[in-house]
Order: sequence, then C-alpha cells, then structure tokens
Amino acid sequence: MTDETVVRVENVSVKYNKQLVVDQVSLEVARGSVYALLGRNGAGKSSLMRCLLGLQKPTSGRVLIFGEDVWEHRARLLARAAYVPETSDAPGQLRVRDVVAFYQSMYSTWDDGAVRTRLGRVGVNEAAAVSALSKGQRALFTLALALGSRPELLVLDDPTLGLDVVARNDFFSDFIGELADRGTTVVLTTHDLAGVEGIADRVGILQGSRLALDEDVEQMKIDRGQSLEQVFTELTRGSGRPS
Amino acid sequence: MNRIQVLPADPRPIWSQIEEGLRRLLASGSLAPGDTVPSVRELATELRVNPATVSKAYQRLVGAGLMEVRRGDGTYVSAAPPAVRKSEQTRVIRQAAMNFASVAITHGAAIESAREALDQAWEELSSNEGGNR
Repeated sequence: MTDETVVRVENVSVKYNKQLVVDQVSLEVARGSVYALLGRNGAGKSSLMRCLLGLQKPTSGRVLIFGEDVWEHRARLLARAAYVPETSDAPGQLRVRDVVAFYQSMYSTWDDGAVRTRLGRVGVNEAAAVSALSKGQRALFTLALALGSRPELLVLDDPTLGLDVVARNDFFSDFIGELADRGTTVVLTTHDLAGVEGIADRVGILQGSRLALDEDVEQMKIDRGQSLEQVFTELTRGSGRPS
Repeated sequence: MNRIQVLPADPRPIWSQIEEGLRRLLASGSLAPGDTVPSVRELATELRVNPATVSKAYQRLVGAGLMEVRRGDGTYVSAAPPAVRKSEQTRVIRQAAMNFASVAITHGAAIESAREALDQAWEELSSNEGGNR
C-alpha cells in the first residue's frame, strides 16, 4: 500500500480567456507522503489547487483522487479529504464548540475526543468566539477541524502565512504529530521554504504556469548540493508578480 | 536532547544531519548505554521535521548497532558498543579523514591547525562524558 498513488494530476491545463495559467502539469502524490507545491505568486498554484479540490474543471487534463476523477465524484472523494484554507472560513460570531459540533454533525468519521484533546493542548478555549482567537490559535483551530474527520488526504493552502514564529512552530509541531500518528497523505502550498524543507518528501515548483521541478527533496539536495531555498531562488528569480 | 540541530539551509539531507547529531551525543556520552532515545514522534515534533526522516536516521543507527529497538518499549542506546571489524573501522576512519583533510585544504588550513582542530574536537567530546545526564 505504501506506493499507492493518492493524487494523480494528469496533464492539467487551465486557461482563462486566452491566458494559460496552468500548462500541462502532471504530478503524483504517494500515500503517506507530503508533497509541497511551491511557486511565486501568479505561478498557477491557486488554479492547480482548485482543480485538485474539484472546485474547478481543468480546461484539459484531469485530477484523480483515490483513483477517481475528482471533478466527477467530488462529494464522495472529498469526504475522505480535508482542506485547510489560507484563512479560516468559520463564522467569527460562533463559539469554538459550536463550530466543532457543526463539523461533528457532518462527518461520520469524526473523532471528537481527539479534537478536544488537540484544542486543549494548543490552548484554544472552546467557549471563546472564533473571532476572539489570535491568528495563531485560529490556524491551529482550523487544523484541528480538518483533522477531526480523520482524513486520508489533507490539503493545506499556505497554512503558516502571516503567523509569527511561535504560532508557526506550534502549527508545524501539531501537524508533524499527525503525520507520525496517522501517516496522512498531504499536499500543501507554502511560501515558508525553511518550514517545509524538513517536512516535505517531494517538492514541485511551478514557474510560469509549468511544473519546472518535481523531485524528492532529499535526493534533490544530494544531487544539487543546494538547499531547497537556493534551488527555488535560482529557478524562479525574475519571475512571478510582486506579492 | 535539544542539542541535535537541523539547519534547513544546510544542503546535507536532514536524516544525515540527525544521524550525525545523534552520533555526536553518543560519542560524548550525553547519550549513554541503556539510555532511552526519544521516540520518533517526540524528536520529529521537536525538530519540526517529517517523522519518516527521523525514522530513517534511527534505522541507520540501529543498523549500525548503536541503538536498539525494544518492541513496545521504545528505542535505547545499545548496552555495548558494536564490535566493528578492524578493517571496517580503518575504512570508515580513512574516509572521514579524507573528507576532513579536503575541507581543511580547500579552506587553506595548514596541517598543524587541522590536527589541532581534531585534538580539540576529540577533547570536547571526551570531556563531556557522562556530564550531561
């Protein structure tokens, strides 16, 4: 089972009007591995992620999750996956425990004990309103919600963006604990190269709408004698739009 | 155990940084025979690296006989250092010496200062012996 492919992106292109934003991208994510999708702003990351989550139909090509086309079977396939958006979409006026109860009602696989333990450990008060949480707590809360359904696939969109160093470290520690305990398959986008360098098994770099690199991280470092940050900088220098 | 350092900017693979860090702790006696080694989960969370990476470093040290896994009871520093054949020992040390000498020479160091650095490192590791438990 270890070499089973959980996500397979096949020749995906996305075109808006006449502009090609994703150009024939193919990649695979093996079960239990962490795939980091990198690229400067405007490189096509968001469009590719939307295709991966079945939110958008590729102009050509397809995305398979657990072996089936995600666009055609979105509801069924995504019940086995969880998504952590860049900013939490939980309504701010609700209390943490109400949001947890809502999620619990939606997932048959919900692990309420684990969610409450996790929230307690990271210091998120269940009686607090979501809007009262700090940015770091909110990120940990969003992660706890995503993990509550015991997903086989976890998709994260720049989860540490805007977090201070303490919150970022807490987030990664919590995330790594999950990898150790459950071996969840993960796809994430990030700008946090240093943070992801120790965590990603494989890295893809989008550059000018194409996948310019798709390699095993440790092998890449051995082959090139460079850190991920150096490789990324060389590949993407002078491209992308300013953030 | 927080003396193992993983530097993201270091082009060496992370498992090898962890393996070297553990070897240093073993050589200095900070980790003594019979001591427990943190679980893969603990060390991975602490260093913020993928558990599979820590696991790989552990497997190599277990393979080398420096650590042992007791089923259901965690990982320990082996009670006795592994018996390494003399020829194997010579081979490994020569290889490490070659790396060391290459680094020294390409940085313009004279052999005297390289020897001095080796002596210092040796002393540092031996003087730590048992002192950090």
